[in-house]
Amino acid sequence: MMEGRCAAESWAEFGRLVKSGTPLVRCGLGTDVFVSTGSEEIFVFTALKRKLKGVLQLPAPVRDLVVSHDTQHLFVACSSGIYCVNLQLLLHSASTDAGSGPAELKISSEFLLVVADGVSSLLLVGSVLLTLCQTDSSWLLTLYKTPEQSQSNHCDVLSSFFLPLVSPSVQGDTEWKSVLICVYFSDMTQSSSCAAASDAYSSRSHLLLQAVLFKLLFGVEAALSKSPVILCGLPDGRLCFLPMRLPGSRLRILHSLEQPVVFIGASAVMETELGGAGCLIALGKQGRVVLIKADRAGSERGGSIAGFTERCVPGPVECACVSKSCLYYSTGSDLLMLGLSEASARKGQDEGASRWSAAALYRSISLNVSGVVALDQPTCSAADEVQLLSLSVRGRLQKISLPVRRQEEGMSKLPSSQVGRSVGDLLSAIGDVCERASVLKTVIRSKNQILKQLNQVVNISFLLTDSAKTEEKLIRCYGLVRWSRLLQKDSLGLTCVLENLSPYVLERGWTLSIMVLPLSCSPKAREEACSANFSFPFRRLCPGESLEVSLPVAAAGDASFPVTVTCSLIFSVWSFLGGDGSTTFPDLQNVCFSLPLNTLTVDWLHALRVISPTSAQKTVTSHSGSNPADIIQAFISSHQNRVRGGDGASRPEQYYASVRVSSDLLRDALRLQRHDSDLNGSKLASQNSCVSLLEWLLSAGCGGVKMGHSGDQTGVSSPVVCGHAPNKATVKLTAKEVNLDEESPGKESLVTVEVQVESSSVAAVCGLHHAMLRRIQMLLQTAPQKACSFSEVQISALRRTLQQAESQQGQISEALSVGMSPGQTHRILLRVYQQLRDSPVLVV
Amino acid sequence: MIQPPSLLDRWTQENNDLVSKCKQDALNRDHNLFGQRRCSSDFHKLLRKIQGIPPHLDHAQLELSVVYNTCVFFTARSQFEEAELLLTQGAQRVLQITGVDPGSSDPSVLWRAALKSVATTALHCHVLSLLCLQWGIWLTKSCLNSIKEFREEMSSLLERQGGAAWDDCRSESKEKIPNIPSLVLDPRRLVELLKICTAIVQGAERLNEGWSTLSALQAASALPAPRGLIAYTHLLSGSCLTHMNRPQMALLCYRKALETDSRCVCALYQSMLIYRQLENSHAEIQALRLLHSTLLLPSTTEPAVAPSHPLSPSLFLCSQSLSRLISVPSALSVLHSLALKCVIHGRISEGVEYYLDLLAAIHSEDQHQAHATVSTLPKLPKLYLEAGAALLTARRPADCMALCDEVISTTLDLVPEKVLLEDPEDGCVARSRGVKEEAESGLEWLLWAAAAYLLQGHCYSQLKDWQQAVTFYTRCVNLLVKVHYKNRGFPPQVPSPDKEQGIDLCVLQRLKGLSLAGRGISFAQIDRLREALRDLQLSLQALPEGVSAGQWCGEVLWRLNRKQEAAACWENTWSHSNTSLAEGLPVYTQELQSGPMLDSTELHRKLQELGSI
Repeated sequence: MMEGRCAAESWAEFGRLVKSGTPLVRCGLGTDVFVSTGSEEIFVFTALKRKLKGVLQLPAPVRDLVVSHDTQHLFVACSSGIYCVNLQLLLHSASTDAGSGPAELKISSEFLLVVADGVSSLLLVGSVLLTLCQTDSSWLLTLYKTPEQSQSNHCDVLSSFFLPLVSPSVQGDTEWKSVLICVYFSDMTQSSSCAAASDAYSSRSHLLLQAVLFKLLFGVEAALSKSPVILCGLPDGRLCFLPMRLPGSRLRILHSLEQPVVFIGASAVMETELGGAGCLIALGKQGRVVLIKADRAGSERGGSIAGFTERCVPGPVECACVSKSCLYYSTGSDLLMLGLSEASARKGQDEGASRWSAAALYRSISLNVSGVVALDQPTCSAADEVQLLSLSVRGRLQKISLPVRRQEEGMSKLPSSQVGRSVGDLLSAIGDVCERASVLKTVIRSKNQILKQLNQVVNISFLLTDSAKTEEKLIRCYGLVRWSRLLQKDSLGLTCVLENLSPYVLERGWTLSIMVLPLSCSPKAREEACSANFSFPFRRLCPGESLEVSLPVAAAGDASFPVTVTCSLIFSVWSFLGGDGSTTFPDLQNVCFSLPLNTLTVDWLHALRVISPTSAQKTVTSHSGSNPADIIQAFISSHQNRVRGGDGASRPEQYYASVRVSSDLLRDALRLQRHDSDLNGSKLASQNSCVSLLEWLLSAGCGGVKMGHSGDQTGVSSPVVCGHAPNKATVKLTAKEVNLDEESPGKESLVTVEVQVESSSVAAVCGLHHAMLRRIQMLLQTAPQKACSFSEVQISALRRTLQQAESQQGQISEALSVGMSPGQTHRILLRVYQQLRDSPVLVV
Repeated sequence: MIQPPSLLDRWTQENNDLVSKCKQDALNRDHNLFGQRRCSSDFHKLLRKIQGIPPHLDHAQLELSVVYNTCVFFTARSQFEEAELLLTQGAQRVLQITGVDPGSSDPSVLWRAALKSVATTALHCHVLSLLCLQWGIWLTKSCLNSIKEFREEMSSLLERQGGAAWDDCRSESKEKIPNIPSLVLDPRRLVELLKICTAIVQGAERLNEGWSTLSALQAASALPAPRGLIAYTHLLSGSCLTHMNRPQMALLCYRKALETDSRCVCALYQSMLIYRQLENSHAEIQALRLLHSTLLLPSTTEPAVAPSHPLSPSLFLCSQSLSRLISVPSALSVLHSLALKCVIHGRISEGVEYYLDLLAAIHSEDQHQAHATVSTLPKLPKLYLEAGAALLTARRPADCMALCDEVISTTLDLVPEKVLLEDPEDGCVARSRGVKEEAESGLEWLLWAAAAYLLQGHCYSQLKDWQQAVTFYTRCVNLLVKVHYKNRGFPPQVPSPDKEQGIDLCVLQRLKGLSLAGRGISFAQIDRLREALRDLQLSLQALPEGVSAGQWCGEVLWRLNRKQEAAACWENTWSHSNTSLAEGLPVYTQELQSGPMLDSTELHRKLQELGSI
């Protein structure tokens, strides 16, 4: 639509804006325009001659500026304080060297008026200067008396008002911005006092408000004392007011926008009497608009009440200004116009129509100007043409003339003199459109990308939460334990592999979190959190791919086995958005959700280091003699044993525990486990069954964890296996076939395989016993359903409960033996357990 | 050959330069705040340079002097935390030099150890002066226990050696180093200031806890100190005596305080309160008048000190209980009480002048309540109405009407069509009071507008324009009937004015009674006796103790030739007639005796006539 196009006339360029600064455009009363790009400089520009008149160099970045009513003084708020500059001085110096370009004036501390930290807004009401600043715990509104003579630069504090912060949090630089305006009571019957400053009333920070609305919002007292009311909009969204001249008044809250207040203005909509705007408007950063008008109350109560109407416009709002009937605001990429006046025109019509008009009313109309970051109050020319003075993000000062909206005229013939101008306008508009389109395109593209990724995330979440019931997860972890030696210390490492068998891609934002926690810790150890957490953020895991991570489980000598390894996938919204959102959504940093994967268990069998029986013989006296340090260690420990034991050179006590498994069951189960191997029932001799049981115990991937043996230790050739437990004790596993017919006479003989654990360390015996029971339990859970339907299944179920009880007992004793001080008492205790253990558990 | 000055000399020189610059700055009052800020940052910079090297005995004097100077400025700028940190650091570095381990980080242990470790050396006086600053900081935090802990040894030390300790170390060091580090503030002055301030704060605290501290305060009043602080000791003695129920002696003390420092307004205020308690209205008005004129003088609250003194006593006098004692209402509040007192005690013309002054002050451009104390002023429309009532009593109906016009024009368009009054139950009252403090309610607006109409009616009846008077009384009544009660069964009789809601209801009833009475009297004046009788009887229903309503009701009955009833009515009225103005209710809801009066002797004569028949 051609009629919606507006003309932008570029006046000057001041360089790119400072990112965290406060861009400002303020018109002086004459033709001077003051521009700040957020840096330390203020540019003084003459609109009449279209040239830069002077530059003020301040000691710190400019936050706000106001011009006094008589245009004699310019008050500038910096981060260090408030400076007052005599404009006459500047004008004078500019006029003397007129030929040599703009005058530069360095503002030093001699112009300093008030020492104040963190002033975010300034306002001048008569001879009173108001500042709003944020301290650690509150907002502080201070009133200063400005000096009468220009020479003295000292300000007396008249009074100050506090408003506590909502949350005393550390806030970023962008949060410093606040809005400070002054509202006057419009009482046309006594205009003598107002007349003096009537020009000032129309400016952006001084509003004349309709009497009824004023009274409703600020009270009869403020109206009766004809006191100006200060309105402030804070970054936390609160709108506060303070009647300036009312005794005992304080800052009170009018409304809360719940988003940073960008703009407060008043519009002459619903003008009921001469002068005085009938509608107060506040605009939030994210586009919430609140219109405050005086409404007739319902028929029951009668009288007037203040009506608050909230609407939302597409944000984010960079800056705004308001004319008689329109609100203009910039989102950075576009300048939009919001009509406010139709509502009053439709007033009195039936409900339906007015609702329709209300919907149409708050629709923004694009003006196709991009990059506007600061606006001054619009001016209305004689031909009803609205003109805005704006500062773009590139530091360009431009005058924007809005089209006069006349319906019937449409596309009329233009006078030839205007053709050239309109082509220029058209070209500049095309430039703007191009710029805006490219910005929008990238925004849309990135949004689509994000949506696609979010879809994947949702799919994966469903997958993981649904398949929680089924056994097989499409995304899961399995582990591989391996002993390694680093810096002469043995440690057990776990390689955890995350497999993605699902059809979805795990994108950026996912983190694999692994928690390693001992299954049973002594109560003391549980207090000091003995778990370890590892998290591995990853970029991308396509279907079929796997991710391998390694983590330490335990060092040698650390006997806190078995450990459970809990794997979960964590999705963090913040890292998903690439951390860009942190500025706008500080809360998002903590938003993440965790989806559990499977849990792995690393037990004593996993941690057992098998050595050949021959070397085991050797290590009965001396440990694996590869390392001199180990030899010394062994020597010392054997020596200690001798001394402590007190019974001479006798070997330390040996503890035993054993488990018996029915051979039939074992055969079936093991065949089922590896049915495609060359092992079959006929070939499985008794020796073989023992060996294969041991082999299975030591190599099978039980509970998703495999043992990574190095080279020669893979094969188990004899029914006796020796090894080192992680607490460095030597253990011996012996498997043999036992006939049980003497124990159950009258039945057919039951052939079982007995595995006996033998070690001098109770902990190792208990641990290995527990591990074996676990394995067999696992075996029974998977195998017997199909393979065996004996009547003994009942018995095996009974046994299983026994096993569990036993394993718990074992853990308790383990904890005891680790935690307690050595002494005769606990040795007795252990012997009791040992006896208990000697009656072998039978699994049929 | 000229040797380059050593680091120590250079730093000492820098310190001394800074000190002389600060003293110059202090004389120039304009830049005081900015100057202090610069000084403190300069000294701090120097201190950081000095503390950059490990503590050493040779540098100790200089370092401690700079710590002292820095902390004086930090304290002056109310940066107590930072100052305390520096002081603790200073003490710790002293201990490092002497190689003593205090064994605990508790400040009192630390200071004791530091003092002991340097007991016999030249550093002793320096550590002492740092401890003095720590004392001041404890005082600002009202840590009176810590002060008491050191009190004995501090005061004994100071008294025994007097200022000699410092003089000694001064001369001693003069011999050793030609260039001694100078201090911005003589520690002796600091001690003097701290002593009296501690006495004052302690007195206030103990008084607050209900102890009598007369002797301690009287001892403190003999200390060398600025006048303002001495005046405070007298003031506190006066408060003590007030607590001991000896008002006359308290008045003497307050008088002493005023004689010591003529700007000690709190003494004046306290004496005013005593006069009020003694019901000496003449003296009370006098005191209020003096208080008001004193408050209008520039800068009356700050006790003055020498301009070169960077530490103001007010830094140390920030205890809660003290500030409660020395707080004074704002000048406007005082002016209002003065005006009200005058009106109540019959000094109408004076009262009117004060009310007009008050309104002028509120409307003046530069009224910004310099001290943001909690104002006890009533709301502005009430002030207008009180002033109007005063004007009416002073027979200035035109002025009264102007004020009422203003109230009506601002409130009338807000008055709702209907105000529903809930039964003031406990929970409901609490809630509505919370709301009421913040915002004005429909009922409030309505009552203001109605009262303004009532006053205007009174004005016209004073002008004997009965027709207009009837019009305005009618408007008042019409407004008042918009209030509806919503409660269980019975309409409220005039409730006790002790509750918030109660006051409003009470005002409502009184306004109703007075406006109906006014209309009845006006009707009686234009011989519309039936309407007059109806209104007067309604008025007596609403407000049974209304005197003029009662009298006029009798009069109308008499004129209607219902003489027995008239007699009963008069008897009834005189039985509970007390014409004094009640203080709990606004002046404009009282009977102002501004309208046409009936001669009561005449009435008595009529009664006797009736009796004799």
